[in-house]
Amino acid sequence: MQSFFQTLVSGLSFGAVYALVALGFSLVYRTMGLVNFAHGAVLMIGAYVASTFTLSARLPFAVAGPAAMAVTGVVGLVIERVLRPLENKDFDLMLIGTIGAGTVLEAAAILIWTSAGRGVPSPVRTSPLVLGGVRIPPYDLLVIGITAVAMVALTLFLQRTKRGAAMQAVAMDHEAATAAGIHVGRSNAIAFAIGASLAALAGALAGPMLYVSPTIGDSLGIQGFASAILGGFGSIPGAIVGGLGIGVIGSFAAQSFQGYSDLVTFVVFTVLVMIRPTGIFGEKTVNRA
Amino acid sequence: MSRYRLGYPAAALAALICLAGAACSAPGSSSSSSAAGGGTPSGPIKIAVVDAQSGSSSDLGQFEYRGVRLAVGQANAAGGVDGRKIALSLLDDQGDPTVGTELARKIASQGAIAMLGTAESAVTLAMAPILASEHIPNITSGQSTKLLALNSPYLFLNGPTGLTYDSTLAKYLVQKKGYKKIALLTNNDSYGAGEHDAFLAALKSLGITPVADKVVPQDQTNMTPALNAIRGARPQVLFIGAEEAQSGLTVKQARALGLTAVVAEGAPAGTPLYLSTAGAADANGTIVSSPYLGNDVSAASRKFAAAYTAAYGSAPELHGAKAYDGAEVMIAALKACHACTGLALANAIRAVHYDGLLGSFRYNKQGVGIFATSIGIIRNGKIEPVS
Repeated sequence: MQSFFQTLVSGLSFGAVYALVALGFSLVYRTMGLVNFAHGAVLMIGAYVASTFTLSARLPFAVAGPAAMAVTGVVGLVIERVLRPLENKDFDLMLIGTIGAGTVLEAAAILIWTSAGRGVPSPVRTSPLVLGGVRIPPYDLLVIGITAVAMVALTLFLQRTKRGAAMQAVAMDHEAATAAGIHVGRSNAIAFAIGASLAALAGALAGPMLYVSPTIGDSLGIQGFASAILGGFGSIPGAIVGGLGIGVIGSFAAQSFQGYSDLVTFVVFTVLVMIRPTGIFGEKTVNRA
Repeated sequence: MSRYRLGYPAAALAALICLAGAACSAPGSSSSSSAAGGGTPSGPIKIAVVDAQSGSSSDLGQFEYRGVRLAVGQANAAGGVDGRKIALSLLDDQGDPTVGTELARKIASQGAIAMLGTAESAVTLAMAPILASEHIPNITSGQSTKLLALNSPYLFLNGPTGLTYDSTLAKYLVQKKGYKKIALLTNNDSYGAGEHDAFLAALKSLGITPVADKVVPQDQTNMTPALNAIRGARPQVLFIGAEEAQSGLTVKQARALGLTAVVAEGAPAGTPLYLSTAGAADANGTIVSSPYLGNDVSAASRKFAAAYTAAYGSAPELHGAKAYDGAEVMIAALKACHACTGLALANAIRAVHYDGLLGSFRYNKQGVGIFATSIGIIRNGKIEPVS
C-alpha cells in the first residue's frame, strides 16, 4: 500500500505539470480552434528564462517564475501577431506557422543558452514529509498547489471578467462576436499570451524537477497535448483531470512495465480516447478553417 | 482582400522558415574550419566530424567537437601533416542513427578521408557498415561492445568499452568494498542496455545476483516508481546505467525518496552535466569508473585543460578529452603514413602507440585501444581518484 501511494504521489506531481501544459493548449484551442504546436518550445523558453533569473540574477523563485511568465507572454503575443493575418483564411498554414515558430524558438534557445542543459536547484529545501512511510517532497505539494491556483484563476478570468466573457464569445461564434463589437484578434492575442504564460509556469516548475535543456519542451509538450485530449480538448477542468490522469497512468505504468511504460501509457490513452473521442469533459470543438 | 494582407502571412512564414533554416542545423548541415581544398595531395586533408549539435545529445556533441578542434588546431599550428593542413567539416547527426546513415553517404561523396565521432554507439553502429564499404576509417566515442561485433577493420574506439568500465566498477564494489546487495537502474537505449548487460555480466562473474533490476525508457523523467521498488529491496549500492542528465535526475529523485544507497556509475557520473543535474549534495559520494578522473590527475591533463579553457572559456570533461585523444591518434596515423587513405590509414591507426589523456593507446584487432579505467569518488562537487 505504501508503494501504491508513493507511486500515486509522484504521478500527481508530474501530472500537475502536464496539467499546466494542457491548460495552455486548451485555452488557445477553445479560443481559436488552433493547436499551438509551438507550445512545448514556449515552455522550454519559460524554463530557461526562469532558470536564468534564478541562477544568474539570483532572483527568488517567487519572482523568477512570474518574470518568466511575463517574458513568454510577450513571445505568445508575437507568435499570434505573426499568425493573425491567416486567421479565418488558411488554417493549415497557421498550424505550420506554429511549428515554424517552435523551431525558431528552439534555435534561439541554443543560440542564447547553448545546447548544454542546466540543473536547477529546488527552491524548497526542506525535507520530505513522511506520512505512513510515504515520502512527499514539499516541492511536489507546491507544484500541485500552484496548478490548482492557476486553474481557479483562469476559470474566474474566463467566467467573471468582461475580457474573459469576450473570449468565450469568440470561442462560441467569432462572427457573432465580431458583430457584437468584440475584437477577435485581441481575444486571440490574449489567449496566446495567457497560454504562453501557463507554459512558462509549467517550465519554471518543471526545471527543479527535471533538467532544463533545449528539448525539455518535447516530452512535456507531448504529455501535455495528450492530457488536453484526454480531458477534452478546450476544457479547462478537463486539462487538469487529463494532466493528473496522464501523470498517474504514466507513474503506475513505470512501476509495472519498466522500459515499456511509455508504450503502455499511450496504449491506455488510445483506448480511453477510442471509448470517449471527445475526452472526459468533451466540449464542442471550434474550427475556423 | 488587399495584396498587403495576402502577402504579409506568406512573408512572415517565409521569414520563419528562413530563420529556422539559418539557426538550426538540418540533417547533414555542416560548418567547416577551412573552406578550401579537398583530398588532393597538395590541398588540405579533409576529416569529417560527426556529432550531435542539436537534439538531446547536443551537449555531448559540442564537448566532443571542441576536443577535436583543439587537437587539430594545435596540429595545424605546428605545420600540419607533411605541410598540409587538416580541414574539419562538422556534420550534425542529431543523435539519430537514421540521420547518421545519411551523413555516412555524404561524407563519402564530400571526399573526407576519415571520420571522428560520433558520441553515441547507436549512431556509430548505423554508420559503420557504410563507412566500411567506402573505406573510411572512423574513430568513435561510442563504447558499446556491439561495436566490436561488427569486426570492421575501419572502426576504432577512443576509449574503453562499456565492459571495461563496468567490470572495473563491479570489482571495486564487490571485492574492495565488500558490497553484496546491489541494485541496477538502467535505461533502454543502446547505451543503457549495454551498461545493463556489461554490469550484470561483471556481477555474475563475481557471484553476485542483483537485489533489484529496473529498466526505464530513455526519455523517462519520473524515475520514482522504479526507485520506489528498488528502495524496497534495501540495496547497499545503486548502479545507474543512463546518460548524464537522466543519471543526475535519478540520483536527485532517489535521495528525495530517502534511498541512501551508494550510487555507482560509469563515465557519465564523472561529468559536470551529472553534477549539475543531481546537485552537488545529492551527487556526493558517487563512485565513478572512468579513464579520465578530472583535469588535475596528471601533467598531460592539466596542460590539456589549460589549452581547452583558454580556447573555449570553460573547463573540459571526459567527452572533450576522449575526442582530443581520438583526434591525436588520427593525426599521428596520418603523419606516420603521410596522409594515406582507406585501409592503409586504418592500418596506420592500428599501429599508433600513443600515450594520451585516457591512457596508453595500443589498438587490438577489434579497434579497442584502451583497456583500463580508474575508480573515483565525487566529493564536494569534484571527482577525486580513490586512493
